[in-house]
Amino acid sequence: MTKPLLEVEDLRVRFHLRTGTVDAVRGVSFQLGRERLGIVGESGSGKSQTGRAILGLTPPPGEVAAKKLSFDGIDLLTASKRTLRTLRGGRISMVMQDPKYSLNPVMTIGEQIIEAYQAHAKVSRAEARDKALAMLEAVKMRDPGRVFALYPHEVSGGMGQRAMIAMMLVTDPDLLIADEPTSALDVTVSMEVLRILDELVAERGMGLIFVSHDLKLVSSFCDRVLVMYAGRVVEELEAKHLREAQHPYTRGLMNCLPTLAADVRPLPTLNRDPAWAL
Amino acid sequence: MLDIQNLRVTYGTGRLQVDAVKDVSFQVKKGAAYGLVGESGSGKSTVLRAICGLAPISGGRVLVDGTEVKTPRDQTFYRTVQMVFQDPYASLHPRHTVDRTLAEPLAIHGEKNAEERIAQALREVGLGPSFRFRYPHQLSGGQRQRIAIARALILRPKVLLLDEPTSALDASVQAEVLNLLDELRHKMGLTYILVSHDLAVVAHLCDKLLVMRHGEGVEETTAAALRHGTASNDYTQSLIHASSGYTREVLKPAAA
Ligand SMILES: Nc1ncnc2c1ncn2[C@@H]1O[C@H](COP(=O)(O)OP(=O)(O)OP(=O)(O)O)[C@@H](O)[C@H]1O
Ligand SMILES: Nc1ncnc2c1ncn2[C@@H]1O[C@H](COP(=O)(O)OP(=O)(O)OP(=O)(O)O)[C@@H](O)[C@H]1O
Ligand SMILES: [Mg+2]
Ligand SMILES: [Mg+2]
Repeated sequence: MTKPLLEVEDLRVRFHLRTGTVDAVRGVSFQLGRERLGIVGESGSGKSQTGRAILGLTPPPGEVAAKKLSFDGIDLLTASKRTLRTLRGGRISMVMQDPKYSLNPVMTIGEQIIEAYQAHAKVSRAEARDKALAMLEAVKMRDPGRVFALYPHEVSGGMGQRAMIAMMLVTDPDLLIADEPTSALDVTVSMEVLRILDELVAERGMGLIFVSHDLKLVSSFCDRVLVMYAGRVVEELEAKHLREAQHPYTRGLMNCLPTLAADVRPLPTLNRDPAWAL
Repeated sequence: MLDIQNLRVTYGTGRLQVDAVKDVSFQVKKGAAYGLVGESGSGKSTVLRAICGLAPISGGRVLVDGTEVKTPRDQTFYRTVQMVFQDPYASLHPRHTVDRTLAEPLAIHGEKNAEERIAQALREVGLGPSFRFRYPHQLSGGQRQRIAIARALILRPKVLLLDEPTSALDASVQAEVLNLLDELRHKMGLTYILVSHDLAVVAHLCDKLLVMRHGEGVEETTAAALRHGTASNDYTQSLIHASSGYTREVLKPAAA
């Protein structure tokens, strides 16, 4: 067996607040190969903080601990700041959940993609510019030239999300952590964007962590799924078997979805059992 | 309750000029819920922002309860109409705690029982009292979105403009929020405009909807038609089709 691309063992993230301690991630372990791994789970269950911790982007005063956190043989826990900086936005990228907030508000979308590209590839400005425009086109922007010149507050929610995806893919990462990357996209554009990610995994062997609450999408797009609840992974299963999940949380989730086929109201909700959070 | 007549919004000049909304008209009856769906960048958020006076209207009229809205919008307007923004991070003040975010609208409108109402507002969106003194950056994406919803609901406005209100929520919390919106509409006769790319969510909450593309309304249809998959417009059909999940098949012919 080839070595996994990413190994995470017993990852913990904790915040000490004046009002008490928040255990955001409580012992998450998984391995990722060159595949599509979905992470689903309750709002606040630690999905984003897991992704951030892998990149070393846990916001202060958060504390991260793990038995193992390694990417392609590089120990991320002991790696120098410099190594981490080169990896980040280069070989490892993350599409943040709040794209418009994560983009630089005083720089145009085009300049930001150029900057991201030139930080990791030795290319002329003209080449970088062409590449940036090509990326904007690849994520199905209607008028790439216009979007290139816009500031983040001038684009729609879904355009901001696609701009962030373009910026994160421009360096051809080996590992992409995509946190709700299509939550603001209409279904047809979303399919196009997923197809790009799919190709990168299938053709270039990129590893993809796909955080989403869209169960239908995860079960049809990913290979494997981790289900998180209260900072832990409560279930791991093959994506196509999401409907046969065992954990009561996962099973309950599937029932809560409104569907076009049936008009159920009120929608079923979950009776959260405190035992799930133990 | 809402009457939008030939609304136009244009942004930018020269090369960057874009007609974000061109000639959009629709009406929403009192106590009804109306959906806006369509392509990313097609002008859905701009329509909502224009109603609230947050986008430059270059043509057309916006009537609330039979009277044309004043520019700039006054206190009475915000008492009647509240909006949940697509981007909760941008709409919540970064240095205000949840408590202050929720207390402020109550104070502005001279409402009583602030304590009680803040606690209730948090309960309604499924957040416990421990979140009350957190700052936006100390919340998860879905928790932030729920604070934005709680803030819009706390004044019990007559009209709610909801821009992707549940897109950051997991299925269980989404169900709770949708049930709450449904209940408020039936009990208190609230009127909604809902922007969502999730057709099942739109069909669940709304009776009628407008499908938008390139700043224009391409088809007004009903939730029932969505459910039966009977849309006259090709674009609407493709949306219904794509809602059934990701398929690798479409990729194959291109590769072959
Ligand atoms: N800076 C912070 N300080 C304190 N607590 C935090 C901070 N950031 C996140 N949290 C808490 O950590 C927990 C996990 O957050 P995280 O953002 O990982 O959730 P999530 O699973 O991504 O949820 P969502 O689906 O809503 O985005 C949440 O309960 C959140 O309130
Ligand atoms: N402040 C602004 N300056 C310039 N252009 C703008 C501004 N705000 C919006 N636009 C443009 O208006 C168009 C419509 O944007 P809008 O946000 O209404 O789209 P949307 O339908 O809500 O899309 P999404 O589903 O992606 O959120 C886009 O082309 C966008 O770039
Ligand atoms: Mg998150
Ligand atoms: Mg929008």
